[in-house]
Amino acid sequence: MTELLPLAEVSDTSVFGAKAVGLGQALRDGLPVPPGFALSGPLVEAVAVDDEAAVDRVATAVRPLGGPLAVRSSAVDEDGADASFAGQHLTLLNVPSADELGKALREIWWSANSDSAISYRKRIGLFTRPTVAVVVQVLLDPECAGVMFTRNPINGVDERMIEASWGLGEAVVAGLVIPDSYCVARDGQVQERRPGLKRVAIRGLPGGGTVEYEVAPDLVEQLCLDDSRLEALNELARRCEEVYGPDRDIEWAVADDTLYLLQCRAVTKVGGA
Amino acid sequence: MAGAPAEALRRVPLFADLDDDELTQVALLFKERNFTAGETVVKEGVEGAAFFLIESGEAKVTIRGTERASLGAGDHFGEIALIDEGVRSATIAAITDLVCYGLTLWEFRPLVIANGEIGWKLVQSVAKKLRTAELS
Repeated sequence: MTELLPLAEVSDTSVFGAKAVGLGQALRDGLPVPPGFALSGPLVEAVAVDDEAAVDRVATAVRPLGGPLAVRSSAVDEDGADASFAGQHLTLLNVPSADELGKALREIWWSANSDSAISYRKRIGLFTRPTVAVVVQVLLDPECAGVMFTRNPINGVDERMIEASWGLGEAVVAGLVIPDSYCVARDGQVQERRPGLKRVAIRGLPGGGTVEYEVAPDLVEQLCLDDSRLEALNELARRCEEVYGPDRDIEWAVADDTLYLLQCRAVTKVGGA
Repeated sequence: MAGAPAEALRRVPLFADLDDDELTQVALLFKERNFTAGETVVKEGVEGAAFFLIESGEAKVTIRGTERASLGAGDHFGEIALIDEGVRSATIAAITDLVCYGLTLWEFRPLVIANGEIGWKLVQSVAKKLRTAELS
Protein backbone atom coordinates (compact mmCIF):
# COMPACT_ATOMS: atom_id res chain seq x y z
CA MET A 1 0.00 0.00 0.00
CA THR A 2 1.27 3.47 -0.87
CA GLU A 3 1.67 5.39 2.35
CA LEU A 4 3.18 8.65 1.15
CA LEU A 5 2.12 10.54 -1.98
CA PRO A 6 2.40 14.01 -3.46
CA LEU A 7 -0.94 15.72 -2.79
CA ALA A 8 -1.84 15.81 -6.48
CA GLU A 9 -1.85 11.98 -6.56
CA VAL A 10 -4.00 11.44 -3.47
CA SER A 11 -7.46 10.00 -4.09
CA ASP A 12 -8.20 7.34 -1.45
CA THR A 13 -10.05 8.69 1.61
CA SER A 14 -9.75 5.37 3.43
CA VAL A 15 -5.95 5.79 3.41
CA PHE A 16 -5.35 9.54 3.49
CA GLY A 17 -8.58 11.04 4.88
CA ALA A 18 -11.01 13.52 3.38
CA LYS A 19 -8.86 16.62 3.83
CA ALA A 20 -5.90 15.19 1.89
CA VAL A 21 -8.13 13.83 -0.87
CA GLY A 22 -9.97 17.16 -1.13
CA LEU A 23 -6.69 19.01 -1.61
CA GLY A 24 -5.49 16.39 -4.12
CA GLN A 25 -8.69 16.82 -6.10
CA ALA A 26 -8.22 20.60 -6.02
CA LEU A 27 -4.69 20.32 -7.43
CA ARG A 28 -5.80 17.96 -10.18
CA ASP A 29 -8.47 20.48 -11.13
CA GLY A 30 -5.99 23.31 -11.31
CA LEU A 31 -6.95 25.11 -8.11
CA PRO A 32 -4.15 27.11 -6.43
CA VAL A 33 -3.20 24.84 -3.52
CA PRO A 34 0.27 25.09 -1.88
CA PRO A 35 2.35 22.01 -2.76
CA GLY A 36 2.65 19.16 -0.29
CA PHE A 37 2.44 15.49 0.57
CA ALA A 38 -0.07 13.20 2.25
CA LEU A 39 1.00 10.57 4.80
CA SER A 40 -1.21 7.58 5.64
CA GLY A 41 -2.35 6.84 9.20
CA PRO A 42 -0.04 3.81 9.63
CA LEU A 43 2.95 5.85 8.44
CA VAL A 44 2.10 8.66 10.88
CA GLU A 45 1.87 6.07 13.65
CA ALA A 46 5.23 4.53 12.66
CA VAL A 47 6.86 7.95 12.86
CA ALA A 48 5.11 8.64 16.16
CA VAL A 49 6.66 5.51 17.63
CA ASP A 50 10.10 6.63 16.35
CA ASP A 51 10.49 3.91 13.75
CA GLU A 52 13.79 4.98 12.19
CA ALA A 53 13.00 3.80 8.65
CA ALA A 54 9.66 5.62 8.68
CA VAL A 55 11.20 8.84 10.06
CA ASP A 56 13.91 8.77 7.35
CA ARG A 57 11.44 7.98 4.61
CA VAL A 58 9.19 10.91 5.49
CA ALA A 59 12.07 13.35 5.93
CA THR A 60 13.64 12.34 2.59
CA ALA A 61 10.37 12.68 0.69
CA VAL A 62 9.33 16.00 2.25
CA ARG A 63 12.76 17.71 2.29
CA PRO A 64 12.45 19.08 -1.30
CA LEU A 65 9.50 21.21 -0.12
CA GLY A 66 11.95 23.21 2.01
CA GLY A 67 10.40 24.98 4.96
CA PRO A 68 8.66 26.14 6.94
CA LEU A 69 5.84 23.60 6.80
CA ALA A 70 2.20 23.40 7.80
CA VAL A 71 1.27 19.99 9.20
CA ARG A 72 -2.46 19.28 9.29
CA SER A 73 -4.35 16.21 10.45
CA SER A 74 -6.66 14.45 8.00
CA ALA A 75 -8.92 12.10 9.94
CA VAL A 76 -9.56 8.66 8.48
CA ASP A 77 -12.78 7.12 9.70
CA GLU A 78 -15.68 4.99 8.73
CA ASP A 79 -17.47 7.78 6.91
CA GLY A 80 -14.28 9.42 5.68
CA ALA A 81 -15.53 12.77 6.97
CA ASP A 82 -13.08 14.74 9.04
CA ALA A 83 -15.12 17.92 9.40
CA SER A 84 -16.71 16.54 12.57
CA PHE A 85 -13.27 16.32 14.17
CA ALA A 86 -12.59 20.03 13.77
CA GLY A 87 -11.06 21.26 17.00
CA GLN A 88 -10.09 17.76 18.13
CA HIS A 89 -7.23 17.00 15.79
CA LEU A 90 -4.25 19.25 15.73
CA THR A 91 -2.78 21.49 13.05
CA LEU A 92 0.82 22.56 13.53
CA LEU A 93 1.94 25.64 11.68
CA ASN A 94 5.53 26.62 11.00
CA VAL A 95 7.37 23.36 11.52
CA PRO A 96 10.83 24.63 10.46
CA SER A 97 11.86 21.75 8.18
CA ALA A 98 11.32 18.11 7.22
CA ASP A 99 13.84 17.07 9.87
CA GLU A 100 11.52 18.31 12.62
CA LEU A 101 8.50 16.40 11.36
CA GLY A 102 8.87 13.49 13.81
CA LYS A 103 7.87 15.56 16.84
CA ALA A 104 5.05 17.24 14.90
CA LEU A 105 3.60 13.94 13.72
CA ARG A 106 3.78 12.52 17.26
CA GLU A 107 1.83 15.51 18.58
CA ILE A 108 -0.80 15.09 15.90
CA TRP A 109 -1.07 11.36 16.61
CA TRP A 110 -1.63 12.15 20.29
CA SER A 111 -4.24 14.80 19.44
CA ALA A 112 -6.34 12.02 17.91
CA ASN A 113 -5.70 9.76 20.92
CA SER A 114 -6.14 12.28 23.73
CA ASP A 115 -8.75 11.84 26.45
CA SER A 116 -10.90 14.61 24.97
CA ALA A 117 -10.69 13.16 21.43
CA ILE A 118 -11.60 9.69 22.66
CA SER A 119 -14.54 11.03 24.70
CA TYR A 120 -15.69 13.01 21.68
CA ARG A 121 -15.50 9.92 19.46
CA LYS A 122 -17.64 7.97 21.91
CA ARG A 123 -20.21 10.78 22.04
CA ILE A 124 -20.63 10.64 18.26
CA GLY A 125 -20.82 6.84 18.30
CA LEU A 126 -17.31 5.93 17.13
CA PHE A 127 -15.80 3.17 19.23
CA THR A 128 -13.04 2.16 16.85
CA ARG A 129 -9.36 2.94 17.05
CA PRO A 130 -8.64 6.46 15.72
CA THR A 131 -6.53 6.73 12.60
CA VAL A 132 -5.11 10.06 11.62
CA ALA A 133 -3.44 10.74 8.30
CA VAL A 134 -1.52 13.95 7.77
CA VAL A 135 -1.08 16.61 5.11
CA VAL A 136 2.32 18.36 5.01
CA GLN A 137 2.41 21.54 2.94
CA VAL A 138 4.62 24.55 2.44
CA LEU A 139 3.54 27.16 4.99
CA LEU A 140 2.67 30.44 3.32
CA ASP A 141 3.64 33.78 4.80
CA PRO A 142 0.38 35.49 3.89
CA GLU A 143 -0.25 39.18 3.77
CA CYS A 144 -3.88 38.41 4.61
CA ALA A 145 -6.08 35.35 4.92
CA GLY A 146 -9.52 34.26 5.97
CA VAL A 147 -12.61 32.25 5.25
CA MET A 148 -15.33 32.36 2.60
CA PHE A 149 -18.75 30.75 2.31
CA THR A 150 -19.86 30.37 -1.29
CA ARG A 151 -23.46 30.81 -0.11
CA ASN A 152 -24.69 32.78 2.89
CA PRO A 153 -24.81 30.10 5.62
CA ILE A 154 -27.24 32.09 7.80
CA ASN A 155 -30.10 32.88 5.43
CA GLY A 156 -29.20 30.71 2.42
CA VAL A 157 -29.01 33.70 0.04
CA ASP A 158 -26.87 33.05 -3.03
CA GLU A 159 -23.98 35.40 -2.18
CA ARG A 160 -20.36 34.99 -1.11
CA MET A 161 -19.67 35.80 2.53
CA ILE A 162 -16.01 36.61 3.10
CA GLU A 163 -14.04 37.35 6.27
CA ALA A 164 -10.43 38.54 6.16
CA SER A 165 -7.63 39.61 8.46
CA TRP A 166 -3.87 40.25 8.32
CA GLY A 167 -1.33 37.41 8.50
CA LEU A 168 -2.24 33.75 8.94
CA GLY A 169 -5.92 32.84 8.82
CA GLU A 170 -5.78 31.28 12.29
CA ALA A 171 -6.47 34.78 13.72
CA VAL A 172 -9.91 34.61 12.06
CA VAL A 173 -10.58 30.94 12.77
CA ALA A 174 -9.61 31.32 16.45
CA GLY A 175 -11.70 34.49 16.85
CA LEU A 176 -8.76 36.69 17.88
CA VAL A 177 -9.95 39.59 15.73
CA ILE A 178 -13.09 41.14 14.38
CA PRO A 179 -12.31 40.44 10.72
CA ASP A 180 -13.26 42.55 7.74
CA SER A 181 -16.48 41.23 6.29
CA TYR A 182 -17.55 41.34 2.67
CA CYS A 183 -20.61 40.27 0.77
CA VAL A 184 -20.18 39.66 -2.95
CA ALA A 185 -22.95 38.71 -5.39
CA ARG A 186 -22.39 35.74 -7.65
CA ASP A 187 -21.92 38.14 -10.60
CA GLY A 188 -19.02 39.76 -8.74
CA GLN A 189 -20.78 42.91 -7.59
CA VAL A 190 -19.54 43.89 -4.11
CA GLN A 191 -22.66 44.42 -2.02
CA GLU A 192 -21.05 45.17 1.30
CA ARG A 193 -17.59 45.73 2.75
CA ARG A 194 -17.22 46.37 6.46
CA PRO A 195 -13.80 46.98 8.03
CA GLY A 196 -13.07 44.92 11.11
CA LEU A 197 -10.97 45.61 14.18
CA LYS A 198 -7.81 43.64 13.53
CA ARG A 199 -5.56 44.56 16.43
CA VAL A 200 -3.50 41.35 16.28
CA ALA A 201 -2.20 38.98 13.63
CA ILE A 202 -0.43 35.62 13.70
CA ARG A 203 2.79 34.91 11.88
CA GLY A 204 5.48 32.21 11.91
CA LEU A 205 8.56 32.51 14.10
CA PRO A 206 12.00 31.89 12.58
CA GLY A 207 12.69 28.89 14.86
CA GLY A 208 9.24 27.33 14.48
CA GLY A 209 5.82 27.85 16.00
CA THR A 210 3.73 30.98 15.66
CA VAL A 211 3.40 34.27 17.46
CA GLU A 212 0.57 36.73 17.94
CA TYR A 213 1.73 40.30 17.30
CA GLU A 214 0.17 43.76 17.35
CA VAL A 215 -0.91 45.11 13.99
CA ALA A 216 0.32 48.61 13.02
CA PRO A 217 -2.34 51.17 14.08
CA ASP A 218 -3.08 52.32 10.52
CA LEU A 219 -3.88 48.75 9.46
CA VAL A 220 -6.25 47.88 12.31
CA GLU A 221 -9.32 49.20 10.51
CA GLN A 222 -7.95 49.17 6.96
CA LEU A 223 -9.65 46.72 4.59
CA CYS A 224 -7.46 43.75 3.62
CA LEU A 225 -9.18 43.14 0.29
CA ASP A 226 -9.54 45.48 -2.69
CA ASP A 227 -11.78 44.93 -5.72
CA SER A 228 -9.27 42.79 -7.61
CA ARG A 229 -8.80 40.43 -4.66
CA LEU A 230 -12.55 40.18 -4.13
CA GLU A 231 -12.90 39.35 -7.82
CA ALA A 232 -10.24 36.64 -7.45
CA LEU A 233 -12.06 35.23 -4.41
CA ASN A 234 -15.36 35.19 -6.28
CA GLU A 235 -13.67 33.29 -9.10
CA LEU A 236 -12.14 30.87 -6.57
CA ALA A 237 -15.62 30.30 -5.10
CA ARG A 238 -16.99 29.59 -8.58
CA ARG A 239 -14.18 27.12 -9.35
CA CYS A 240 -14.55 25.37 -5.99
CA GLU A 241 -18.30 24.91 -6.57
CA GLU A 242 -17.54 23.58 -10.03
CA VAL A 243 -15.06 21.03 -8.64
CA TYR A 244 -16.67 20.05 -5.33
CA GLY A 245 -20.33 21.04 -5.67
CA PRO A 246 -22.39 23.87 -4.14
CA ASP A 247 -22.26 25.45 -0.68
CA ARG A 248 -18.56 25.41 0.23
CA ASP A 249 -16.70 26.63 3.31
CA ILE A 250 -13.29 27.80 2.08
CA GLU A 251 -10.09 28.79 3.86
CA TRP A 252 -7.85 30.99 1.71
CA ALA A 253 -4.72 33.14 1.91
CA VAL A 254 -3.00 35.79 -0.19
CA ALA A 255 0.80 35.52 -0.31
CA ASP A 256 3.15 37.23 -2.78
CA ASP A 257 0.06 38.64 -4.46
CA THR A 258 -1.26 35.17 -5.25
CA LEU A 259 -4.53 33.78 -3.91
CA TYR A 260 -4.25 30.25 -2.46
CA LEU A 261 -6.87 27.71 -1.46
CA LEU A 262 -6.00 26.13 1.91
CA GLN A 263 -9.12 24.08 2.58
CA CYS A 264 -12.55 23.53 1.05
CA ARG A 265 -15.31 21.78 2.97
CA ALA A 266 -19.03 21.36 2.52
CA VAL A 267 -21.04 23.82 4.59
CA THR A 268 -22.60 21.64 7.25
CA LYS A 269 -25.86 23.62 7.39
CA VAL A 270 -27.24 26.32 5.18
CA GLY A 271 -30.10 28.31 6.63
CA GLY A 272 -33.04 29.96 4.92
CA ALA A 273 -35.50 28.38 2.53
CA MET B 1 15.11 2.38 20.50
CA ALA B 2 11.45 3.37 20.44
CA GLY B 3 9.06 2.92 23.35
CA ALA B 4 9.38 3.42 27.09
CA PRO B 5 12.34 2.21 29.19
CA ALA B 6 11.41 -1.29 30.41
CA GLU B 7 13.20 -0.85 33.74
CA ALA B 8 10.96 2.13 34.58
CA LEU B 9 7.86 0.11 33.69
CA ARG B 10 8.99 -2.64 36.06
CA ARG B 11 8.18 -0.28 38.96
CA VAL B 12 4.55 0.05 37.84
CA PRO B 13 2.48 -2.42 39.92
CA LEU B 14 0.28 -3.34 36.94
CA PHE B 15 3.34 -4.56 35.03
CA ALA B 16 5.48 -5.76 37.95
CA ASP B 17 4.84 -9.48 37.42
CA LEU B 18 5.64 -9.53 33.69
CA ASP B 19 8.86 -11.26 32.64
CA ASP B 20 11.51 -9.42 30.60
CA ASP B 21 10.14 -10.44 27.20
CA GLU B 22 6.58 -9.51 28.12
CA LEU B 23 7.70 -6.21 29.57
CA THR B 24 9.65 -5.41 26.39
CA GLN B 25 6.53 -6.09 24.30
CA VAL B 26 4.56 -3.65 26.44
CA ALA B 27 7.37 -1.07 26.50
CA LEU B 28 7.55 -0.98 22.69
CA LEU B 29 3.92 0.13 22.50
CA PHE B 30 4.59 3.39 24.33
CA LYS B 31 4.94 6.72 22.50
CA GLU B 32 6.60 9.81 23.80
CA ARG B 33 4.27 12.69 24.61
CA ASN B 34 5.40 16.16 25.59
CA PHE B 35 3.45 18.72 27.59
CA THR B 36 4.43 22.34 28.15
CA ALA B 37 4.53 23.94 31.61
CA GLY B 38 0.99 24.83 32.70
CA GLU B 39 -0.69 22.41 30.30
CA THR B 40 -3.39 20.07 31.59
CA VAL B 41 -2.29 16.48 31.11
CA VAL B 42 -5.51 14.77 32.18
CA LYS B 43 -8.69 16.31 33.54
CA GLU B 44 -10.80 15.07 36.42
CA GLY B 45 -14.14 13.65 35.27
CA VAL B 46 -13.10 13.17 31.63
CA GLU B 47 -12.98 9.63 30.25
CA GLY B 48 -9.41 8.42 30.02
CA ALA B 49 -7.86 6.19 27.43
CA ALA B 50 -4.15 6.24 28.18
CA PHE B 51 -1.58 5.44 30.85
CA PHE B 52 1.40 7.74 31.33
CA LEU B 53 4.87 7.28 32.76
CA ILE B 54 6.82 10.48 33.49
CA GLU B 55 10.31 10.56 31.97
CA SER B 56 11.22 14.05 33.15
CA GLY B 57 9.62 17.18 34.58
CA GLU B 58 7.15 17.85 37.37
CA ALA B 59 3.36 17.77 37.56
CA LYS B 60 0.76 18.47 40.23
CA VAL B 61 -2.29 16.43 41.10
CA THR B 62 -5.50 18.19 42.12
CA ILE B 63 -8.85 16.74 43.12
CA ARG B 64 -11.88 19.02 43.09
CA GLY B 65 -9.52 22.01 42.98
CA THR B 66 -7.39 20.96 45.97
CA GLU B 67 -3.74 20.13 45.36
CA ARG B 68 -3.05 16.61 46.61
CA ALA B 69 0.38 15.57 45.37
CA SER B 70 3.20 16.28 43.00
CA LEU B 71 4.65 13.87 40.47
CA GLY B 72 8.11 13.61 38.93
CA ALA B 73 10.37 11.36 36.89
CA GLY B 74 9.42 7.67 37.27
CA ASP B 75 5.90 8.41 38.54
CA HIS B 76 2.93 7.13 36.58
CA PHE B 77 -0.83 7.53 36.36
CA GLY B 78 -3.85 6.20 34.51
CA GLU B 79 -3.22 2.45 34.53
CA ILE B 80 -6.84 1.59 35.34
CA ALA B 81 -8.03 3.68 32.38
CA LEU B 82 -6.11 1.21 30.22
CA ILE B 83 -8.58 -1.44 31.25
CA ASP B 84 -11.91 0.24 31.99
CA GLU B 85 -11.76 3.58 30.09
CA GLY B 86 -13.29 5.13 33.21
CA VAL B 87 -13.23 8.80 34.10
CA ARG B 88 -10.08 10.40 35.47
CA SER B 89 -10.20 10.70 39.25
CA ALA B 90 -7.90 13.73 39.37
CA THR B 91 -6.58 16.57 37.27
CA ILE B 92 -2.87 16.44 36.49
CA ALA B 93 -1.16 19.56 35.18
CA ALA B 94 2.44 20.07 34.11
CA ILE B 95 4.37 22.38 36.46
CA THR B 96 7.44 22.32 34.23
CA ASP B 97 7.80 21.05 30.68
CA LEU B 98 6.94 17.38 30.96
CA VAL B 99 8.16 14.42 28.92
CA CYS B 100 5.99 11.33 29.31
CA TYR B 101 5.63 7.95 27.69
CA GLY B 102 2.02 7.14 26.96
CA LEU B 103 0.20 3.91 26.17
CA THR B 104 -3.36 3.93 24.86
CA LEU B 105 -6.05 1.37 25.31
CA TRP B 106 -6.06 0.86 21.54
CA GLU B 107 -2.51 -0.49 21.61
CA PHE B 108 -2.68 -2.30 24.91
CA ARG B 109 -5.86 -4.32 24.39
CA PRO B 110 -4.74 -6.27 21.28
CA LEU B 111 -1.52 -7.29 23.05
CA VAL B 112 -3.42 -8.57 26.08
CA ILE B 113 -6.01 -10.35 23.94
CA ALA B 114 -3.29 -12.04 21.89
CA ASN B 115 -1.19 -13.01 24.89
CA GLY B 116 -3.08 -14.89 27.61
CA GLU B 117 -0.03 -15.07 29.87
CA ILE B 118 0.24 -11.28 30.01
CA GLY B 119 -3.53 -11.04 30.50
CA TRP B 120 -3.49 -13.45 33.43
CA LYS B 121 -0.67 -11.57 35.15
CA LEU B 122 -2.59 -8.33 34.74
CA VAL B 123 -5.69 -9.92 36.28
CA GLN B 124 -3.57 -11.04 39.23
CA SER B 125 -2.14 -7.54 39.55
CA VAL B 126 -5.61 -5.96 39.61
CA ALA B 127 -6.77 -8.60 42.14
CA LYS B 128 -3.84 -7.70 44.41
CA LYS B 129 -4.78 -4.06 44.16
CA LEU B 130 -8.41 -4.88 45.08
CA ARG B 131 -7.33 -6.96 48.05
CA THR B 132 -5.03 -4.18 49.27
CA ALA B 133 -7.89 -1.67 48.91
CA GLU B 134 -10.22 -3.96 50.92
CA LEU B 135 -7.70 -4.26 53.73
CA SER B 136 -6.93 -0.56 53.97
